[in-house]
Parts: sequence; structure tokens; C-alpha cells
Amino acid sequence: MNRRTFSRTATATARAEQGIEERGTPVKEDALHIELGRRYLFAASHRLHSRQLSEEENYRVFGKCNNPYGHGHNYILEVSLSGKIDPATGMIANLADLDAFVTRHVLEEFDHHSLNEDVPAFSDKVPTTENLCIEIFHRLQNFPHAKLERVRIQETGNNSFEYAGKRRKTTRDQANRRDPAE
Amino acid sequence: MILLTRKIEFSASHLYHNPNLSAEENRRIFGKCNNPHGHGHNYTLEVTVAGEPHPVTGMVLDLKELKEILEREVMQRMDHRHLNYEVPELAGQIPTCENIARVIWQLLEPKIKQGKLHRVRLYESPDLFADCYRNGASRAGN
Ligand SMILES: [Zn+2]
Repeated sequence: MNRRTFSRTATATARAEQGIEERGTPVKEDALHIELGRRYLFAASHRLHSRQLSEEENYRVFGKCNNPYGHGHNYILEVSLSGKIDPATGMIANLADLDAFVTRHVLEEFDHHSLNEDVPAFSDKVPTTENLCIEIFHRLQNFPHAKLERVRIQETGNNSFEYAGKRRKTTRDQANRRDPAE
Repeated sequence: MILLTRKIEFSASHLYHNPNLSAEENRRIFGKCNNPHGHGHNYTLEVTVAGEPHPVTGMVLDLKELKEILEREVMQRMDHRHLNYEVPELAGQIPTCENIARVIWQLLEPKIKQGKLHRVRLYESPDLFADCYRNGASRAGN
């Protein structure tokens, strides 16, 4: 936390005193949208099972993912942030801050754990990767240094899921659609 | 609309250092990326162009031409170079993924005449990358 306060102050000072933006290529910041993507790995087990369904229905819907003792995956979590590039650091967000936040809010609780047994959100929700995306998005949404754009989770090499929060289709998004065929 | 992506790889060295900050501040903010003699990465660049296939050729743009643009604008400038000292477009900036992706966008956008540059994605390593889009463009189709 010290790092954050410190680097913000240092940044402001550096900008004011040295006019660092005036050096190098002019930053056409407003024209561009820049995102930082960071990938994390965690291993966790889960069992797909809904209390609202009978044993037979559970087996029919979830197949082997319903086996009673669960199974596991090496999940790859991809976190995308957007924001302005701080001219003093060249960064949208300091990776050390992001890594610490993701570790504290997600990895510590999820890595080498059972999603069903160890994560309260999944005590009454099926821990599919869809629901996992939503849960992780909500946990990371309050990252203080940049805007969380989306989370993407790769469950295996063959499946991945993305969540970007509740879809808000703004008029700006529509106005900027240049191509009617899109 | 079709999105077409071409991937290239280049190797370059860099370090993170802001001369306006003290040695301790640099170390605290940038960590080992501040080591004075730098270090390097194998960068992977994915360039995505959006457009409609030409009615006669069936192509959004000629891939050969895109390849030449990437060779001229990116490979010749950055491959086997030190990004802090040898790339004028990055002078005075910290050569982070974000800044390099933005500079590559600025180099490529005016050169792409058929279709529109849609996304520049630059991987510094498999677990760290930056994406650059024109503001307001739909980000669908990643
Ligand atoms: Zn580096």
C-alpha cells in the first residue's frame, strides 16, 4: 500500500517538475484504448452438481463432471485492465500491485483448493467455469488502480470463458460502430 | 466484417528507469526490471486488421503487403535492438508492453491502406501482454 501512495506522489512530482510528457512521441492518449493483460495459473478441484436436480438428472446434465469426489483443472485466469498509461512508469497499473491484489482476492483462496468446499460462493452455486468467471470478476472489480475490463478463464486447452460484467450497451458504443455488417 | 490476424516475433532488450526519480524510487517501482544493464524478451506481436473481403480477390488485404509493413515498421526497428537506446519512437518513455504496443499502433495505422487496424496485441511473455485499440471501436472478436 505504501508503494502505491509513494509511486503516485513520485509520479505527480516527476510530471510537474520535469514535464516528462513533452519528451518522446506525443501521446495521442484519447484516440487509443489500451489494455493490460496478465495471466495467472491456479489448480483447483470441483464437482458439478446441483441440489435442485435429482441424482439421475445431475448425472444426465453433468456426466462425469458429476462424479461424487470431483476432479480438478489447471485453470488459466486472464485479467484485462484498461486505463491511462502513467508517463512516469509507462504502466496502466503496476504489476506488483495487480499481482498482490489477485493473489489476495483469488489465488490464495482458490489455488490448491476445492471450489465446492472451500469457496463460500459455490456452496449453493454450481462451480462451472461460467460461474467462476462471474465470481472472479466481482472479486477483482474493485482493483483501485485501473478499470477491470474482463476476465477470461481457460479451463482446459479446449475451453475458455469470458465475462466482462453486465453488458451495458451505451449509445457511444453504437455510434462508433462503423460497419453495419458487424 | 472479417478480422484478420498476423503474428510476428522479435527479440529485444530493455530496462525500466525513469531519470526523474531517485535510484531508490526506481528500484521500488520497477524492481528487477530496473537492473542497470537491462534484460531481454521474445516479444510476440499479433496485428489484427478489420475489413470486408474484396469482391474480386476475396481478401481483406494482401497478407504479403502486411508482412512487408510489419518487416519494415517493426522488425527493422525493434528486432535485436535495445528498446531504450535504439528506437527513437520510444525515446523518453519507459518501454513497457503498454508503451511499445501504443508505438507499434502509431507506426502501423497510417500504413494500412486496405481494411482498418483493429487491434495490436503485444506479448512480452506468455503471461503478460498489452492490447491497443482505437477508442470506441468494438472490442468483440478477440
Ligand atoms: Zn522486461
